[in-house]
Amino acid sequence: MNDSVSTPATDGQAAQQRRGRKWQLVRLLLQGDRPYALYFAFAILLVVFSFASPWFLSIDNFLNIGRQTALVSIIAIGMTFVIIARQIDLSVGSTLALSGMSAALAMAHVGDNWIIGAIAGIGTGAIVGAINGFVVTRLNIPSFLVTLGTLSAARGLALLVTTTRPVIITNDSFVSIFGEGDIFGVPVPIIWTVLAVIAGILLLHYSVFGRQIYAAGGNPTAALYSGINIKRVTTLAFVLTGMLAGLAALVLSARSHAARPDVVQGLELDVIASVTLGGCSLFGGRGFVLGTLLGSLIIGTLNNGLVLLGVSSSLQLVIKGAIIVAAVAFTKK
Amino acid sequence: MSEPVAAASSPQVPLIRVAGVTKRFGGVQALRGVNLEVLPGEVHALLGENGAGKSTLIKILSGVHAYDEGSIEIAGERVAFDSPAQSRAAGVAVVYQDLSLVESLSVGANLMLGREPRTRLGFVKKRQLTAMVNDFLRAHGIPLDARTPVGSLPFAYRQMTEICKALMGDVRILILDEPTSALTGGEEQILFDAIRTVTSRGVGVIYVTHRLNEVFRISQRVTVFRDGLNVGMFPTAQTDMKQLVAAIIGPGHAALHARERTAVGSASNVPAVGKENVAVAAQPILALSKVGNDRLRDVDLTVCKGEIHGLAGLIGSGRTEILETIFGLRVVDTGSIVIDDQALSRITPAQAIKLGVALVPEDRHVQGLVLDHSIERNLTLPRLPQFSRWGWLRSQAAVQQAQNSMKKLAVKAPGSSTYVKFLSGGNQQKVVFAKWDHPRPKLLLLDEPTVGVDVGAREEIYGVVQDAARAGTGVLVVSSDLDELLRLCDRISIVVDGRIVNTLDRALLGNAEALHHLIQLSRSTTESPKGTSFGAHAT
Repeated sequence: MNDSVSTPATDGQAAQQRRGRKWQLVRLLLQGDRPYALYFAFAILLVVFSFASPWFLSIDNFLNIGRQTALVSIIAIGMTFVIIARQIDLSVGSTLALSGMSAALAMAHVGDNWIIGAIAGIGTGAIVGAINGFVVTRLNIPSFLVTLGTLSAARGLALLVTTTRPVIITNDSFVSIFGEGDIFGVPVPIIWTVLAVIAGILLLHYSVFGRQIYAAGGNPTAALYSGINIKRVTTLAFVLTGMLAGLAALVLSARSHAARPDVVQGLELDVIASVTLGGCSLFGGRGFVLGTLLGSLIIGTLNNGLVLLGVSSSLQLVIKGAIIVAAVAFTKK
Repeated sequence: MSEPVAAASSPQVPLIRVAGVTKRFGGVQALRGVNLEVLPGEVHALLGENGAGKSTLIKILSGVHAYDEGSIEIAGERVAFDSPAQSRAAGVAVVYQDLSLVESLSVGANLMLGREPRTRLGFVKKRQLTAMVNDFLRAHGIPLDARTPVGSLPFAYRQMTEICKALMGDVRILILDEPTSALTGGEEQILFDAIRTVTSRGVGVIYVTHRLNEVFRISQRVTVFRDGLNVGMFPTAQTDMKQLVAAIIGPGHAALHARERTAVGSASNVPAVGKENVAVAAQPILALSKVGNDRLRDVDLTVCKGEIHGLAGLIGSGRTEILETIFGLRVVDTGSIVIDDQALSRITPAQAIKLGVALVPEDRHVQGLVLDHSIERNLTLPRLPQFSRWGWLRSQAAVQQAQNSMKKLAVKAPGSSTYVKFLSGGNQQKVVFAKWDHPRPKLLLLDEPTVGVDVGAREEIYGVVQDAARAGTGVLVVSSDLDELLRLCDRISIVVDGRIVNTLDRALLGNAEALHHLIQLSRSTTESPKGTSFGAHAT
């Protein structure tokens, strides 16, 4: 595999060091087992759509794809941690809806300030994640069942608080910070995605917590015998996913100037598809953040390209499903 | 081609004859022409270090791999298996180290899995199944009941179930891959009895093992592999331990000399630490008093700095549970544990590690290693705080430490980023040891430290343990290999039913046989309720 063997350098040590640093950068990009196929698939997708549609290859369209995939990408970063830890979180879509309601209501009733909205939204996500993690680890119930429960309960709660009515958001700075603003022409949803990706990379690949996540999923018993507090680590992975669902809720509600309790039903499927497409093993212990981003971009590009080609939305679903299964079959180890 | 000895002693047609078989995996020549021959009713031991080619040959015989050159004959007919099913149809059955039983099902259901007697509607005829299996078990003289759930059986009996499973149907050749690696004295005897019943019916047995003393107890002939070649075939009666060890590890191997040297070294160690008054005067690193929980009762135990203390007993006697309780994997209900002068009533593994306790667990695949991860990831796992600042990993330091530890323990691998699953058993076990290499633990808990490890690596592991003890680490070692305990330990405690019934000085113990009898004796005397007092005043 990728042994960075330190060969005995006699001359040109500087050149070798430079190569070593470059190699490290490549490794950072390829953190994982067989990601090449993924890059290849993405490239093919881009080429095919570029030839098939005259509108595809433009900066505006790419920004569009970035904006459309932001929700899935942001949440998928958290889901990467959960799946590497050998768990699953089906509740992210409902968590997003509840967090959005919470943020909008906080700004409407507690204080008309974007910070209050942000804290309420991300905090609500963290609480749902903590409940998921706590029930999974302390009561020893499979996360599939627990999050299936919170999927329903969180959605119900979101519908309950306003008896299914949306809540309008009037705070301009909130709307511009999370939804409609841009920095040097880059829309803020893309900025938030990039920030989430960077945080995810640092946390998963460069922190002790990341190591513990990999170990907890790779072999929970061995992790326990090495003194890793698996319950704590697993719970934190759920909390992180919940917080990112909260962030995604801010982005979505800011873009639509309102929080609606019935949004993004079925979002969890796109998120899980992105993560697995990105090289995460559902058996735990393997996966990487950039792969997940790529998985999400592939799905987003597919959606976008098929719309531009005028494929009917029913047929889009079929094509998308087939391509996801084929891609996972092709890239799996 | 066949050795002269075999030709002289066997007028029969061999059940299986392997001649000049080679096998290549990519760039690795796993077998370079091996021969093996098993007669009806014979137990033929197959020896060799890890990587010598034993597993490859077994996989060829069981139809997992195809061979390149040479020939394999079964009862005089030339065969080449494309699949395990073909091998099974030809009468070859293999029992692997990792058991393949469904724990939630009964012995009977496991034995008949996939070929249950059915009614016309497809329902299982339960009563008939139980009767069939019980008849089979009785006919083979095996002390099992068809209705017992496999999950409730001790390990030795699960293994026996596995052997029975292999024997169901028409079996001519039974291959046992390290069957005793997790068994103790008494259980070994049960297994050997079962093997004798099998061979008396004309079945030939290929017996793969790392334990040489078993070879002399059970086999008629021995074949030794080294580096994919036959080193020799010996009639068991005409060979001895020394000759076999020399054949296995090869001439001029450092471990051969190391063995003699350390044997002398440990002999001179005995007066230094072994004498009771010295041991009492020495500083204790671990003291258990009246520790009890669901598996342990009133365990009293002291381990001193620099002492190697053994725990002997049968499987399921509570030896492993003592280690797990000290490491914080089990709750302490009563009594107290003092580690390095700190009294603890509740311990977590993380706390135990912080106090300087290290555990090399029994099952390295399940408990010791994340097989899918690199050596470096595995090595740094228990000591992550040591390689971090503010929660961020210092990867350079981690890689550096991993490389140092690998060098120190002579782990054979291309680099620290090699995946652990690609290493041989001995090297994997060294990686488990290397997890605790630096800083040196104050208390090292070892559970079956050399199971499935070849002779050379075993010697190196003994060296690591002895070096740690010499530097002041207290070592508590559980082993079913009594020779291993006698070789390493200064004192040995005997565990029966979750209690320590006897603690003895090494100097007072003779050989493995004496220790074996002592374990049996302790067991039989404590089984009656009155016998509890025996252990107390035996020390």
